[in-house]
Amino acid sequence: MIRGTFLKELKELTRDGRVRISFIIVLLLLLAATWISKNQYEQTNEQHHQAETSERDIWEGQGSKNPHSAAHYGTYAFKPKYPLSLIDHGVDKFTGTSIFLEAHTRNEAQFSKATDQTGLARFGELTPDFVLLFIIPLLIVFLGYNAFTKEREMGTLLLLRSQGTPVWKLILGKWLSIFLPIGGTVLVLFVITGLVLSNLKDFGVFQWDSLGMMSLVYMAYYIVFINLILLVSSKVKKSGISLVISLSIWIMACLVVPKAASNIAESTHPYPTRQEFVANITKDQQNGLDGHDPWNKQARELEQQVLKEHGVDSLEQLPFNFDAYRMQKGEEHTAEIYFKHYNYLKTQFEEQTGLYRNLAVLSPFLPARFMSMAIANTDYATHWDFADSAEKYRVELQAFLNGDFAENSSFGEWSYRADASKWKELPAFEYDPPELNETVGRNGSNLMILSAWVLISFSLLFFTTKKL
Amino acid sequence: MISTDNLTMKYGETTVLDKLNLTIKPGELYCLLGANGAGKTTTINLLLGFIKPSSGSAIINGLVVAENVHKSKKNLAYIPENLMLYPNLTAVENLDYFSGIGGKSFKRQELEAFLEEAGLQADAFHNRISTFSKGMRQKVGIALALAKNASVLLLDEPTSGLDPKASNEFGILLQKLRSNGVAILMATHDLFRAKEIATHIGIMKNGQLKQEFVASEITLSDLENAYLSTMGFKEMAV
Repeated sequence: MIRGTFLKELKELTRDGRVRISFIIVLLLLLAATWISKNQYEQTNEQHHQAETSERDIWEGQGSKNPHSAAHYGTYAFKPKYPLSLIDHGVDKFTGTSIFLEAHTRNEAQFSKATDQTGLARFGELTPDFVLLFIIPLLIVFLGYNAFTKEREMGTLLLLRSQGTPVWKLILGKWLSIFLPIGGTVLVLFVITGLVLSNLKDFGVFQWDSLGMMSLVYMAYYIVFINLILLVSSKVKKSGISLVISLSIWIMACLVVPKAASNIAESTHPYPTRQEFVANITKDQQNGLDGHDPWNKQARELEQQVLKEHGVDSLEQLPFNFDAYRMQKGEEHTAEIYFKHYNYLKTQFEEQTGLYRNLAVLSPFLPARFMSMAIANTDYATHWDFADSAEKYRVELQAFLNGDFAENSSFGEWSYRADASKWKELPAFEYDPPELNETVGRNGSNLMILSAWVLISFSLLFFTTKKL
Repeated sequence: MISTDNLTMKYGETTVLDKLNLTIKPGELYCLLGANGAGKTTTINLLLGFIKPSSGSAIINGLVVAENVHKSKKNLAYIPENLMLYPNLTAVENLDYFSGIGGKSFKRQELEAFLEEAGLQADAFHNRISTFSKGMRQKVGIALALAKNASVLLLDEPTSGLDPKASNEFGILLQKLRSNGVAILMATHDLFRAKEIATHIGIMKNGQLKQEFVASEITLSDLENAYLSTMGFKEMAV
């Protein structure tokens, strides 16, 4: 009976021209978006590879020079493009692709795609995540809004009821007739994407289990939508009313709640303005050790402390170059200041994320979106992770350079030049994004909320619909 | 077998069916006559379990319907006034689906045989229902009763809106089912058709069964007079 209802519904859907056309349009959109993303991914990956190689060549080829000059000369940390960003672009467009690593300053990621775009970017882009998160739920609305109301309006419900059919079997048949075509199509596209990714050269950290997890998240998201739309259709009498309510659910879940959640999160846990942030860092720096200024109060204190520790009377008697030592201490102090202020930003970000997660009870879109971005390594958390890794590398880079300067020269010997081969000793920057289980663990609450949406919507559909 | 035992239905203070007692044995075709609001459709809805009686019981093949809503429908077929089927499916597909959810499974040839037996022309078997007339849809309903091997058939004004030829064909089909031992209850306004095909006739008014006849024992004009006088149109009775 469930199979019979499923096959009947499927026949009806495929014979309905509107449904056929909508389905084909969505399929074409998804294919086009995937194709565009694949090209972008390949192009970006190639650019990333080129930039990384040439920057390393520049670093290694800078010749013999003072290590502190090399510290100011700096280098770049490039953010890798991850394979699943082909499906979910996340916040990649806004976060920047590279961080300039230099002495004394923690720079932010720059060259974001958004800054290269014109005002037309406000219209958005055709990406797979746009189709998966917005368009497919809309297709579910159009497929399911009249699942039960049409039976009422056509009068077939009377005949159905007279057959003594348990209501849950009818519901399940109709549920399958929407879920299987949607789920099947999406699954096939995910598999195709997986095959494309695994056959690309230099496909990075692509893993089938991440793709599998992502597809499960989307399936859960669609299940919630199917349940809600069928629930509405089973409760109201007219298709028109069902369509209006179903569309309202879509608008609320996909458009209103996420935007309202952003506004609430931003106003409840605001970030400082750029001026405030920079001013606070500058203030702290002014009150601390300046590695470049030997007359700075803290520098004089450090000098006295070091002389005492080594039991000598002058800086020239120290077994290392005190200028380099002071610069390293100044660097460590600056890093602490940056750590403190960026940590505040991170705390605000985590508070905002927490609030977002709480608001996820209002819309299945939020947990699905967060999970999808996290698995694709295109969420803010991954960007923070990358920025922290780059900062760690910057601090290590400064220690490497100041260490060489301190050990191989004496106080006041600013003419010291490190050998041209020195720069090769610095290991290249490498960043590995979080593993899947770490990502899933970090998003446990999103997973729980999405699961709760699935269970509650299933219960509402099957346990509150006893009679049609 | 169909029976009702003091079957009563009230909506608030209004009694729409008042202690109805009916028995329709296998091979009998009982026509319930009455004006709109007499309680005919309520009786059928109670026998189908669509609504629960206020008191008394509706019984199908020995099963109290209110207590066996799904089970009582196993060998029951129902044809409403306007039998609606899925317009985008063919006659065979509709029959396949409805007999399937009724718990029966048939091969395509068997389904075609039921449709043929119900009098549907062969070239319409694989046409979509959206192209069917009401008479053709009613035939699919009969085919469903045949496919379900129903021992009970409930019909709610099935011939209303049918042209005389289609109505006559439908009557012949019902006769055929009756002679096969099916117990049939048909609510209708059509006195002529009732006299022609029924074995028993009842006249209802205001939720009460006012008169009952054995169809073979009454003439059409006597039935007409009885109906009109029951309805309160004594001056029109001959």
